[in-house]
Amino acid sequence: MFSSSRGTNRLRYAVPAGVASLSLLLAACGGDSSGGEASGAPAAGALDKASGVTTVSFWHAMDGKNAEVLTKLVSDFNAAHQGKIEVKATYAGKYDDAITKYKAAIQSKSTPDVIQIYDIGTQFMIDAKQTVPMQSFIDRDKLNVGDLQPNITGYYSVDKKLNSMPFNTSMPVMYYNKTLFKKAGLDPEKPPTNLDEIRTAAEKLSKKKGGPADYGFGAAIYGWLLEQFIATSGSEYCDQGNGRDGKATKVQFDQGAAIDVVTWWQKMVKDGLAANTGRDTKAAQAAFKSGQLAINLESTGQLGGYSEAAKQGGWELGAANYPHVKAGETGGPIIGGASLWINGVGHKDANKEAAWQFVKFLSEPKSQATWHTGTGYFPNSKGALNEPVDVEYRKNNPLFDVAVKQLEGTELTKATQGCLLGVMPQARKASEDGIEAALNGGDPQQSMTKAAQGLEAQIKSYNDSVK
Amino acid sequence: MSATTVGAERRRGSLMAFAYLVPALVVFAVFIFWPLGKSVLLSVQGTDIIGNPSGFVGFVNYTKLFSDPDFLQVLWVTFAFTVLTVFPSIAIALVIALLLQSRIRAVRFFRTAFALPFAFSVATASVIFGVLYNPASGVLNGLLSYIGVDKVQWLTDPDLAIWSVAAATVWMQLGYNLLVISAGLGALPEDVLEAARLDGASGLRLQRSIVMPLITPQLFFLVVVGTIHALQSFGQIKILTVGGPQGTTTTLVYSIYEQAFANNNSNYGYASAQAMVLLLIVLAITAVQFGVLERKVFYR
Repeated sequence: MFSSSRGTNRLRYAVPAGVASLSLLLAACGGDSSGGEASGAPAAGALDKASGVTTVSFWHAMDGKNAEVLTKLVSDFNAAHQGKIEVKATYAGKYDDAITKYKAAIQSKSTPDVIQIYDIGTQFMIDAKQTVPMQSFIDRDKLNVGDLQPNITGYYSVDKKLNSMPFNTSMPVMYYNKTLFKKAGLDPEKPPTNLDEIRTAAEKLSKKKGGPADYGFGAAIYGWLLEQFIATSGSEYCDQGNGRDGKATKVQFDQGAAIDVVTWWQKMVKDGLAANTGRDTKAAQAAFKSGQLAINLESTGQLGGYSEAAKQGGWELGAANYPHVKAGETGGPIIGGASLWINGVGHKDANKEAAWQFVKFLSEPKSQATWHTGTGYFPNSKGALNEPVDVEYRKNNPLFDVAVKQLEGTELTKATQGCLLGVMPQARKASEDGIEAALNGGDPQQSMTKAAQGLEAQIKSYNDSVK
Repeated sequence: MSATTVGAERRRGSLMAFAYLVPALVVFAVFIFWPLGKSVLLSVQGTDIIGNPSGFVGFVNYTKLFSDPDFLQVLWVTFAFTVLTVFPSIAIALVIALLLQSRIRAVRFFRTAFALPFAFSVATASVIFGVLYNPASGVLNGLLSYIGVDKVQWLTDPDLAIWSVAAATVWMQLGYNLLVISAGLGALPEDVLEAARLDGASGLRLQRSIVMPLITPQLFFLVVVGTIHALQSFGQIKILTVGGPQGTTTTLVYSIYEQAFANNNSNYGYASAQAMVLLLIVLAITAVQFGVLERKVFYR
C-alpha cells in the first residue's frame, strides 16, 4: 500500500498530507459489513443443475516452486472436469497479505470461492462467518476421512468438526550438521533431545569453547518455534484448553516452559554458544547452510534447501525430532502451514459444490503425493505415503522420515492441537518481541510478561467484537 | 469595446482558467481530499475484526495513542531516522557534487555513477543492502573478518539497526540529491564567480562565501523534500528490519502499516489516528522550514 517505488514517492512530495490517509482509506472504503451466517453444504447435485462451466475462483499464497506445483494440480483438476468446472487460481500475496485482501473482499462482497489461509488465521476465519465448514460437506457425502492424518485435521477442528481442509502442512524438526558433530567429538547418530543436551553439545561445538562451529546453536526469533516448545513440553499456549474449550482470554507464554526456553536461549547467546540472527528466518538459514551453526530449528520445508547446501558445502546433514524442553517429556510439536476454506456467503450452490470437488481433489492421496514430493510440504493423506512417487522421494530424502515418524508418534492433545486465538498472528509477533528483548539482555520473565500483557487488551477487544 | 463585453470576456477567462484546473482538482479531490476526510472520520471510530468501522468512539483512539509508551518511542525513532538520513544525504551529495565540479577526466562517468542510486527502487536497494548486512554470509562482515573484526549484527543489534537502515537510506537518497545540487552548480552565473576570483577568492573561501549562498535554493528544496520523504519511509524498514529489533526502527509510517495491515491487524481507526499525527507533524515541520529556513535562502 505504501508504495516503495521511488517514482510514486516523488509525486507525493507535492501532496504529502493525504498520503497516509489514502492507503487506509483504500482498505476501509469497501462498504458495509456483509454479515450473515454462512449456510451449510448445498444439497448434493447442486452442480448437475448448473448449466455450462462453473468457474471456481481460488486465492492462494504460494509462490516460486510451490506455485508451480499448485498450478500443475489445478490444471490436472481442470482437465479432469473439462466443460463442467474450471478453477482459476490467483496468487493473493504472502499469508499476511492474502488475509488482508480477504478482509477487503469481505467488505466489497467479492470473496473467492476458495481461499488458502495460514494456520494461525483459523479462529479469525471461524469468527468472520463467511465459510461453509468442511465437516458439512464430509457429513453430507458420508466421506471417510480416515485417510487424513488426525494430528493435522486436529489443528483445524473445533469440537471434532473440521472447519477447513488442510492443504500445505509443515512440521518443525531439529537440523544438525553431522560433520561438525564429528569434528567436535560428538556422536552424530545421537543428536540432543532437549535443551540441556543442546547446551552440552553446543559447549563442544562453539568456537568460543574451541569447537569447530561459530556457534553450536542458532535459530531465528520466530514465534512459531516457541509455540513448538510449549507443545512438546505438554503445556498450552493460551487458556481455555488452548482455546478449544471456549474463547481464549489470555496467552500463557509468560510462564512455565516458555520462560525456561527463553531463559535458556538468552544464556546460550550470552555465553557465545548461540547466534542471535534476529527475526529474519533467512538469516539463520543462511548461517546454518554455510556451516556457521551446528544445530538449527526449522520447518520440514527447509529440508530441500538444506540438503542442497550440505551437498555443495561437502558436509552431512542430520535431522531429528524437535527437542523437548526438559528430559522425560513426551509431547510432540504442532503442525503448521495453511488450509483451504470454502466461502459460502454470497456464493451460488453450484460454486460451493464445485469448490468442494476441487478441495476434495487436492486432499486425495495422489494429489498430496504430487504436492509433497514437489514442494517438501508434509502429506496430509496417509495414503500419499504409499504412492510410488512418494516412496521414491523418501528413498532419496531419508531424513524426511524423521518428520513422518515424529508426526505419527505425537499424541493428539490440546497442547499439540495448538492454540486457537483470534489474534494469534499478533500473539506470535508479541512473543517475538519478548524473546528479542530477552536475547538482547532483558530479563526473560519481565520481557515475556510485558509481551503477554500487551496482548490482553487486543484479545479482549477481539472477543468483544465477535460476541 | 463596451464595458459589458470586457466583463463577459473576463468571466469567460476565469471560466476557462477553472476549466483548466478541473482535471487536477478532480484528481486531488478523489485521491487526496476525500481520503483525508475519510481518514479523519475513521480515526474517531472503532474497527471490527474484518475492518469495518464499528461506530463512533470519540477520541478514544487518540487517548490510547498518547497513553501508549511505545508510541513515544515511535515518535523518537521517526525523528532520529529523519535527522540521520536527511542531513548526511545532503552533505555527502554536496561534497561529491563540488568534487565533480573540477575538470577531471571522465567526469561524466563519475557523475553517472554517483547518480545511479536514483535509478534503484527502494525495494531493490533494500534487498541488496539486506544481502550486504547479512550477519552470516554478508559482504560487510566478510570484509571485516579480513581485518580480524568480529561479526557485527548490523540489523539485529538494537543500538545499531537504525544506523544501518539510515545508511542504506542515505545511499538511496544520494543520487537524487546529487542531481539536484549538480544542476544548481551547473547553473551558477559565471560572471559572479569570475568577479569573486578577480577579488582573490579561491578554494574553500570561494565555495563557502559565493557558491554555497548561490545554491541555497537547491539545498532548501532538498531539506524540505528530504524531510517529508524520510518521514514517510517504509520500504527499507519493511524489508530490512520489519520495525525491529525491539521497535528500534519502527517509524510512524511503519507503525501505521502494522496497525492497519500486518499480522492480521485491521485497526483502521487506531492507524488513522496515527496517520493524523503524521499529517500534523509533516505540516508543522514543513511550516517551520518555510518560516525559518527559507529566510536564509538566496533566490536570484
